[in-house]
This record gives sequence, C-alpha cells and structure tokens, in this order.
Amino acid sequence: MTRTEFWQGNTACAEGALAAGCRFFGGYPITPSTEIAEHMAVKLPKKNGIFIQMEDEIASIASVIGASWTGARAMTATSGPGFSLMMENIGYAAMTETPCVIVNIQRGGPSTGQPTMGAQGDMMQCRFGSHGDYAVIALCPASVQEMYELTAKAFNLADKYRVPVFLMADEVVGHMREKIIIPDSVEQVPRKALVKGTLPFKPDSDGIPGFPRFGKGYGVHVTGLTHDERGYPCATNPKLHESLVMRLVDKIESARHEIADFDVINPDAEVVFITYGAPVRSVQQVLHDHPHDTIGFLRIRTVWPFPEYALAEFRQARRFLVPEMNLGQIAREIERHTKVPVTSLPKLGGELHTPSELVAAWEAYR
Amino acid sequence: MSFEDWYRQDRLPHIYCAGCGNGTIVNCTLAAVEQMAWKKEDTVFVSGIGCSSRAPGYIVTDSLHTTHGRAIAFATGVKLADPDLNVVVITGDGDLAAIGGNHFIHGCRRNIDLTVVCMNNQIYGMTGGQGSPTTPLGCLSSTTPYGCAETPFDLCDLAIAAGANYVSRWTSYHVKELEKAVLAGLQTPGFSFIEALVQCPTAFGRRNKFRQVADHVEYLRSHSMLKAKHDRLLEQGEPVPGDMFIVGELMRRNRPVLGVKP
Amino acid sequence: MKLAIDETRCKGCNLCTKVCPYKIFKEGKKANRKGIIIPELDRPERCTNCRLMHLYGRTLCGVCQLTCPDQAIHWVEELPYEPHKVAIEY
Repeated sequence: MTRTEFWQGNTACAEGALAAGCRFFGGYPITPSTEIAEHMAVKLPKKNGIFIQMEDEIASIASVIGASWTGARAMTATSGPGFSLMMENIGYAAMTETPCVIVNIQRGGPSTGQPTMGAQGDMMQCRFGSHGDYAVIALCPASVQEMYELTAKAFNLADKYRVPVFLMADEVVGHMREKIIIPDSVEQVPRKALVKGTLPFKPDSDGIPGFPRFGKGYGVHVTGLTHDERGYPCATNPKLHESLVMRLVDKIESARHEIADFDVINPDAEVVFITYGAPVRSVQQVLHDHPHDTIGFLRIRTVWPFPEYALAEFRQARRFLVPEMNLGQIAREIERHTKVPVTSLPKLGGELHTPSELVAAWEAYR
Repeated sequence: MSFEDWYRQDRLPHIYCAGCGNGTIVNCTLAAVEQMAWKKEDTVFVSGIGCSSRAPGYIVTDSLHTTHGRAIAFATGVKLADPDLNVVVITGDGDLAAIGGNHFIHGCRRNIDLTVVCMNNQIYGMTGGQGSPTTPLGCLSSTTPYGCAETPFDLCDLAIAAGANYVSRWTSYHVKELEKAVLAGLQTPGFSFIEALVQCPTAFGRRNKFRQVADHVEYLRSHSMLKAKHDRLLEQGEPVPGDMFIVGELMRRNRPVLGVKP
Repeated sequence: MKLAIDETRCKGCNLCTKVCPYKIFKEGKKANRKGIIIPELDRPERCTNCRLMHLYGRTLCGVCQLTCPDQAIHWVEELPYEPHKVAIEY
C-alpha cells in the first residue's frame, strides 16, 4: 500500500533510511541537517535501532564505522563544516572498505558560511576530500521523493561495494516540503558475508571481499594501515600498497555503468544542460515552459563515479551548460571528458537559478 | 588455557623494542581477559595509533585499529550497535589525552560499558619521542629539548572527574596487581579506565637518563605510592613528594551505565 | 616442569632477571647468534611454578612470564630421566 505524505526533505531522508533497514545513527547537530538527527532520535528506538548524539562530527563518523563492523546499517548526517571534520575517518572507511552512508545537506561555504542557504560547494570534496587515492559513490537528490529513494538506494550501494556512500543534498532540497509517495517496501540487498576460511581482505571476482562482521568468529584485524589479504599491516611493501589502492579505486570505477543513474532528455539537442541536485528543478521548469526538443538535459543522480559515457549520448551537442550552486566543480569534471565546449553557470549565495537566467544562457549559445 | 592462547602466534615476535613495557601490559590485559572466560568471538579490541595501539594486531580476536585518538568513539559505535560484544580499548597517553581528549572525557561522562587500558609511557614513542600531555615537567623529548615546560595531565584524575565508574593506576612493574585491576575493570559495568605507566627505553629512557631498562622499571617501582599510604600521609598532614605516582584502585562507583543490555 | 626461554623471541632486556622474587635468573655472558645476551637460569630449583605447577594444577607466581614483553618465557614438561636442572631451549 503506497501512501502519500507531505514531508520535509530531511524527514524523507530519515524515513528512507529507516525503510532501508538503517539501525544506527551517530550524529551531531548542524544546520541544515539537524532534522534528520531529530527524526532518527524519535524513530530509531521504536525499531530497536540505536541513536546517539556524539560529541563532535569526528566521533559521529567513527561511531558509524564501528557500528557498521557489527553488521548494522549505519549512517550519519552533517553539513559543510562537519563534513570537513569527518574527512580523516572517511578515508579510514574507504581504506577498510566499511559500508556506511553519509548525508551532507550542503550549505553556503567556505567555513561557517551560510547555515540556512543552499549550495553545492562540497562536490569535489566528497570525491577527493580525504588524503590519498580512493573512490566513493555520491548521489544527488533533487526532490523530496528522491531524498527518500536515493537514501534507501545508498544503503544498498554501500553494502554491495563496501564503500562510504554520500548523499550530497543541499539545504534547498533538505528544508523544502513537498508531496511524496511512499512505497510499501524498499528493496534491501544485504552485504555478502565472508566465506569462512577465506582471507578477510581477499577480493572475489568482482574485486570486493566478503564482509567479516564482528562477533561471528572471523577474528579479523581491521586497520587503516596498508594491509595484506590477511588484514595484517604491511606498510613498507610498495607493490602491495599499489595493488590495494588500485583495487579500492577499480572496484568503483569499473562498476560505473551499474552504479550510474541519470536521465537523458532530448538527446538530439545542440545545447544541453547538465546538472544535479537543486538546479535540476530550475532546468525542469525551463523544459516545462519551452517544450521543444532543442533543449537537451542530462540530469545526473550519481555524480561520483562520474558517468562520463552519458555525455556521448548527446551526439549533436555543440555546447554543454552546467548550472551549479558552486564555482563550476562538476563543470570542471565534464570538461575533462569531452571536446564539446562547456560553460559553467555558477550561482552562489543560496538562491536557485531562475528559469529566465537559464533561458538567457541557452539563447546566448543557440 | 593461558593468556598466550589469545596471541596470533604467526605474528609474533612483535615490533616492540627490547624492554618495552607495552608487551608486559598486553600480557596482563590478556591474562585478565582469560580469567573472565569470555569467548574469543565475543571479544573485540579497539585501538588508536601508536605503539600501544599496535597491540590488537597481535591478538587473535576481531580488532579495529582506527585513526589517531578516536578509538573510544569507534568503540562506542561497536558497543552500542551490538551490546553482546565485549569491547576493550587499548590506547596510549598521546592517543588518549592529546588528540583523543574529547572522546575520552565524553566516554567517561556517558559511562559507556568499555574497558580502556592506557599504556602511559609519557612520550610519543612510535613517531620518535616527542613530548606528550603526560611528559613530566623538565623531561627531555625531541620536541622539548630544553625540558618540558608544560604541566602534565593526571589521566586518572581526568577520568574520575569526568565520571568513569572504575579508575585505577599501576605500573609495568606491578604485573599481578595490574592483572587484577584490569580484571576488576572488565567486571565493572560502565567506563573502566586502567592507566599503566610503562617504560619506553628507546624514546623516553634514552633521553632521560635511564640507560638500562631495569633502571627505569626500578624508578617506576620506587616512585609508586599506594593510595592507602597516600591517603594516610594526607591525613597526617605530611607532605607528599611531587614525583610519586599514586597507584591502586582510585575510584569505584555505580553511576548509570550506557550500552549494557538490561 | 622446567622454564624455557624462547630464543627466537627474547631480546635480552633482562627484566625477568630483575622481577623474579626467587632470583632464579642471572644475566647471560655470551651473545647468541642474533647478538642477544639471553639470561641464564642461576637457581632454577627455586622457581615455584616449575616445582609446584603439577601439584596445584595452575600457574603459581608466573611474574616472569607476565612481565616478559616478548612472550619468551613458558614452561615445558621435562622429559623422563632428564636430570632435574632446567636448561635454556634452543
């Protein structure tokens, strides 16, 4: 039985997590993500889950990783300043291949910035924020409905690929209230358990090892140091380090086609909008107002790993327009992958791009 | 069955220097865990970064070797998500009191059911001998070449003030008492903190006039004062020498606990 | 039982020599092949664990084993007809 509700984006995110089986939330209040923590504080104990408000964001992500190792689906929610604090432990989760979901309701930055205004300034940080080379998955919702669905999907992706998965929303989508249709159930794809007798960090054919949760007698040693397949630290072996880091990156990059989630609209257009997150709504308004197929639109839901092959779907494209609420972080990524000229349409300050601005940009290049 | 069964025999001999007190403390901790008759699959060791925190890599149970200073936060997540697991945190003085200070006091405040064994060698050993928050006044280290100018922490006082249920301090000389103290900590619900003063011959001892390992251990022995004697001296109004370590069970109480199954 | 020091693990710190309540160890004289001077057993008959472990069925004393930072000390059964003087195991 589906039902219809009128919810805030943050509420939808928390409910999506609960529907996906999230049973641990360790968080710290920060505008504009606090509502997720508050909702979880009320709802999680009713489902025999654990909610804890930790002393800072570093402890929050640490407790989430610890809980994940006991087999629980665990998440945290934060915004820009907390996201920066979490970076070391995010690198730890990537290195130890710990599944976890981190929600970032982005706000104006840098530093304390604009706590109550939306932005998309953390997109590069979510991919490259921690030191060293690793790969992550990032999903960007553009509506309250997607906050629910993509949060639920994030848990399945995290468990399948044993990687931290980011839900990069923004204050606009987080704080808006909208109609949402809630499905009666959400598909849960559990982690594959490690086969007893196999080395704990030996990858299967898909490059991902089975998950040896604590308390089942695997006796696994989990460390952030470079480790071999037994899990033991071997920090001075160059070949081992290279193969470990390459595997961590390849398991995501080689699966970019399965992970990708995007919509191609009007693939024959010559001028194409590419965007993700809140600016999608502005582009959708433009398409609604000008329903001819000369306006192309690539709407991306999984920004990382970046689905560069989607750009080729627009065979006649002469120009890509990238409206973003940052100074062109993903426009830079698009430029790397195509010879088509890319124009970044940045908008700082917290307001969405207006449809007339976007139409003006489109007219300029038509 | 002895504590030796808890070691990963394929990983020994370990990386600790000759005469390092950390090996002794791990022996005592494992002897206490052995006495608790816990199952190996129900026990988890969590540690931070440093010489002390390499210990779980040598223990046969599930273990989590985390980032610098955050061991207690990780352990909180493990314990809350699965209260059936027995979680022991092994950490060092820098890991606990410098970068991990915030997590330490909140762990004590929450009284989460963990046992924390801190190997306090009063220096940062793994990284080559820099000063730590517990380096005594005037001692030499690589970042305090003119003598440490900062007053050190008293980790046990911190734990008591922040609300831990069980606090005790011993040294690497007092192996039997330390084993009993760790055992009492494991048995006490709530946050149990056991501080063990250890010798670091390579980093601390070499710079601070302890030419032989045995000299440093002798110093620890002769500068340990039992709590009972300390209290008696205070009562009688006698002065207590400043460089004595007060050893013994310093606190045992029954504050409300987090993370224990009802 | 006799006490044995595992030469692959001992690093020659001599803490066992200092902490033994019965003073059964003494410092060694010669370095072994790794260059480490292993402590020798001076008066092994005074070790309570060696003498009484079978009688009581548990470890008595054992301070040296707990103290040894390298887990190099353990007790082994003496072979039958071996003279009752414990020796270092190679």
